[in-house]
Amino acid sequence: MVAISNEPLRSLYVHVPFCAHKCEYCAFYSAPPSGDIVNRYIAALVREFELVAHDLKPRTIFFGGGTPSMLNMRQWELILTELDRFNLLGAAEWTVECNPATVSADKAKLLRDFGVNRISMGVQSLDERLLERLGRIHSRAQVFKSYDILRAAGFDNVNIDLMFAIPTQTMEIWRATLAEAASLDSEHLSCYEVIYEEDTPLYAQLKAGEFDVDEDLACAMYDELTAFAGERNYQQYEVANFAKHKGTAASDIPDRACRHNVNYWRGGSYHGVGPSATGYVRGVRTKNWANTQIYCEQLEKGVRAIESREELPPRRRAGETAAFGLRMNSGWPYADFREATGFDLRTEWPREMDSLIARGWAQETQNQFKLSERGLRFADSAAEMFL
Amino acid sequence: MEPSKIRNFSIIAHIDHGKTTLSDRLLQTTGTIAKREMQEQLLDSMDLERERGITIKAHPVTMNYRAKDGLDYELNLIDTPGHVDFAYEVSRSLSACEGALLIIDAAQGVEAQTVANLHLAMKQNLTIIPVINKIDLPHANVELAKQQLEDILAIPSELAILASAKEGIGIEEILEAIVARIPAPVPTGAPTMQALCFDSYFDAYKGVVTHVRVFNGEIRAGMQIKLLHFGKTYEIKEVGSFNPKPYVRDVLTVGETGYMTANIKSPKETKIGDTITDARNPSPVLPGFKEIHPMVFSGIYPINASDYEHLKVNMEKLKLNDSAFIYSAESSVALGFGFRCGFLGLLHMEIVQERLRREYNMDIIATYPSVVYRVFLTDGTEKEVDNPAHLPEATYIEKIEEPIVKAFIICPNENIGDMMSLISEKRGTFDHTETLDTRRVMLTSLMPLNEILIDFHDRIKSITRGFGSMDYEHSGHQESEMVRLDMLVNAEPMDAFSCIVHRSKAEGRGRALAAKLKEVIPRQQFAVAIQGAIGGKIIARETIGSLRKDVTAKCYGGDVSRKRKLLEKQKEGKKRMKSFGSINIPQEAFIEVLKTST
Repeated sequence: MVAISNEPLRSLYVHVPFCAHKCEYCAFYSAPPSGDIVNRYIAALVREFELVAHDLKPRTIFFGGGTPSMLNMRQWELILTELDRFNLLGAAEWTVECNPATVSADKAKLLRDFGVNRISMGVQSLDERLLERLGRIHSRAQVFKSYDILRAAGFDNVNIDLMFAIPTQTMEIWRATLAEAASLDSEHLSCYEVIYEEDTPLYAQLKAGEFDVDEDLACAMYDELTAFAGERNYQQYEVANFAKHKGTAASDIPDRACRHNVNYWRGGSYHGVGPSATGYVRGVRTKNWANTQIYCEQLEKGVRAIESREELPPRRRAGETAAFGLRMNSGWPYADFREATGFDLRTEWPREMDSLIARGWAQETQNQFKLSERGLRFADSAAEMFL
Repeated sequence: MEPSKIRNFSIIAHIDHGKTTLSDRLLQTTGTIAKREMQEQLLDSMDLERERGITIKAHPVTMNYRAKDGLDYELNLIDTPGHVDFAYEVSRSLSACEGALLIIDAAQGVEAQTVANLHLAMKQNLTIIPVINKIDLPHANVELAKQQLEDILAIPSELAILASAKEGIGIEEILEAIVARIPAPVPTGAPTMQALCFDSYFDAYKGVVTHVRVFNGEIRAGMQIKLLHFGKTYEIKEVGSFNPKPYVRDVLTVGETGYMTANIKSPKETKIGDTITDARNPSPVLPGFKEIHPMVFSGIYPINASDYEHLKVNMEKLKLNDSAFIYSAESSVALGFGFRCGFLGLLHMEIVQERLRREYNMDIIATYPSVVYRVFLTDGTEKEVDNPAHLPEATYIEKIEEPIVKAFIICPNENIGDMMSLISEKRGTFDHTETLDTRRVMLTSLMPLNEILIDFHDRIKSITRGFGSMDYEHSGHQESEMVRLDMLVNAEPMDAFSCIVHRSKAEGRGRALAAKLKEVIPRQQFAVAIQGAIGGKIIARETIGSLRKDVTAKCYGGDVSRKRKLLEKQKEGKKRMKSFGSINIPQEAFIEVLKTST
């Protein structure tokens, strides 16, 4: 058992709950901005920064959404200035999610000037028809244009988000999208299969029988993805994440991996602010109200807008950490696991590890335990064993 | 009442030919019940009976009638279940009568059930009074109905009474004919009291209420009686009749019909057809008694395992009013704990299942029904098998005999060809055809009972667009090449899907089941073979490809807690699955297949 440290946390997640239009597949909390809600949200967010600032010395910051890039120049300026006031600038990796339709040169420059150094672009597809199918508000052309703007503003660490197994998407379309995305030569690719989340239009369409899921095609697309990534020197480091690495392939995690996300998968602590944001602080998971109105009301009263808290007993917490860490190609170096959880993977879960190895789903070396290429395709089944 | 003033009769008819309307009209005309008290279809008291136009429980009703000769008569209408499943009950009810009204719908003519029921009545030597009903309908064809009477039923047409129960036409004439044509009961001449138990129901306060017909002597409260076949003695607490509600009488004399109570706790004690007689000085048994044996068996399981006890209690309750229904506990790997149930026939099976669902609110699933096979073993012994699990291995079997029925199928002329193909598909042997009229024929054929269990009736209805009808009577056994078909997942048998089928049908059924199972069994992390097998021989096969992935595509910080709960839930779910070797199958998958294939 690790002693609870009083050191400030090194990661911060900020949720921006606004979107011009909700995408068909999206289950994240977001809504179109109306009235004065954005300004009210920013004021509340600033209050929340103030409440957590004493416990933060961020090495990574991630602005996600929603659509953070939807905020206008004045709003961004306010947020960035306040972060400066609370001494929260200077993260080694600072990512902002952008929708290609809402990127401008001025905004890019502003973000860059305050220290944002990584952009995650929600591209999803480069097929015009599929973009429409998914309810995206941007076009192919806007992707290329925004990408150039970001590069010109000096962003040298860009991620492109892509989706596959979209209804009606063929293997040809997927290959074409991959090839075009790779030709942009971004530092990072996040490619994930469509997930049918309840309460999304896409899920309702599936249940209504408007289309069928072709699991074999989805698998083939995933195979195509991993093969393609390998050819283009993107190194896979998590189920859905690929990054460039200088020189020869990294033994562990590639240079351009998203450190913020690695922290999640490795069970690290972080503060989460904004409506619906989750945090993981000294073993306690919290979730803010997924309702901007309530969120603002709470912070206007000067308290955080936490809807729920969860604290697992140490052994179960360690199991959860083991389970999620195995989503990474590098699995768990034993020393890192012990440092993160206070437990020894080998003495706590020897049977589970043996069973995974016997199935050909995992490999064990002297220093680490990791899922095999095949095992990664069954990461959920593997994860269950540790829970 | 003087026996010479008593008439006991029954009404036999095809569904919807107007039996219930006529019964109600007789009650009304005799003043047994006032018109304002009439509720439509008075005698059929269960919802199911009304809905399906059939009578499940028989009710004897006593009517007083002053005939044109100026004398007062007691007319006892003994209603019958009217379906071949209940042929034995029908025969006992009929044996309590001296005559029967045979109703024919003037617009529909003779139907399959008319024939089957008439055969039963004739076996009891009843005097038949033919009634051509619904003559008021615009498309009524009285002449044709008369001709069918003569040609098909061999009844002189001049005996027929033309009636419309709905319009009250011919009712007096029917009542007069009952008095004039049906013989009065004649005492058997036995030394002491003799009465027939022809039905019973359970009353929470009085215990079993037995329907009786007195054949000799009289019965009254306080008498010591003996049920000869059951072998126990009782003291009569109450006797009475129905009008149609029960009312107490001092005595039931020879020839009369009514009920008695005697603190009988269980319906098992009042066997239908049993003889009631004086306890100290018993008379001989009345003829015709048989122990009733279920003809069709099926497993009934609660869909939620936790309902098992509840289901058990409800089956006990159901059995109180349905002594022909039997059940015993059984368990299945696929379906958990449930009951092996025996029924008199298809309709009886449907009724029981429907009543469990509706009246008792049970969520149940039934397995593929089976008939009772006579299995002759190589060691010279014989056993009856109603459950595929109990069929011995083929090497120990000398031969198997399956129950056969004589089926009467009435269909429009243009469907004869399709109907003959259906009969042959169902392994029937065609016996003969009779022309009913210019439009219809009646096909008589011998069919294995097991072939008409599943969809035979529906197929007839669909071939004839609803105009066909079918009925059957049991017709012994015949040797057949029956085999046990097992369904296997990766070589492990799934008991819920085993069935006994004719060898020629095994492959087709095996394939159909394998295809359905393939649809519902979730992919596993390895390929799964679903096979249909007879003994060691595989006759059908489907392969479920292996699951190629099981991983949530996108998982970030915000999801961890939610995702963990989801995985924990899945893990729990897998624990509740049924294991066949290394394969886990949710029970819902089995239920899905059983729902669509039985």
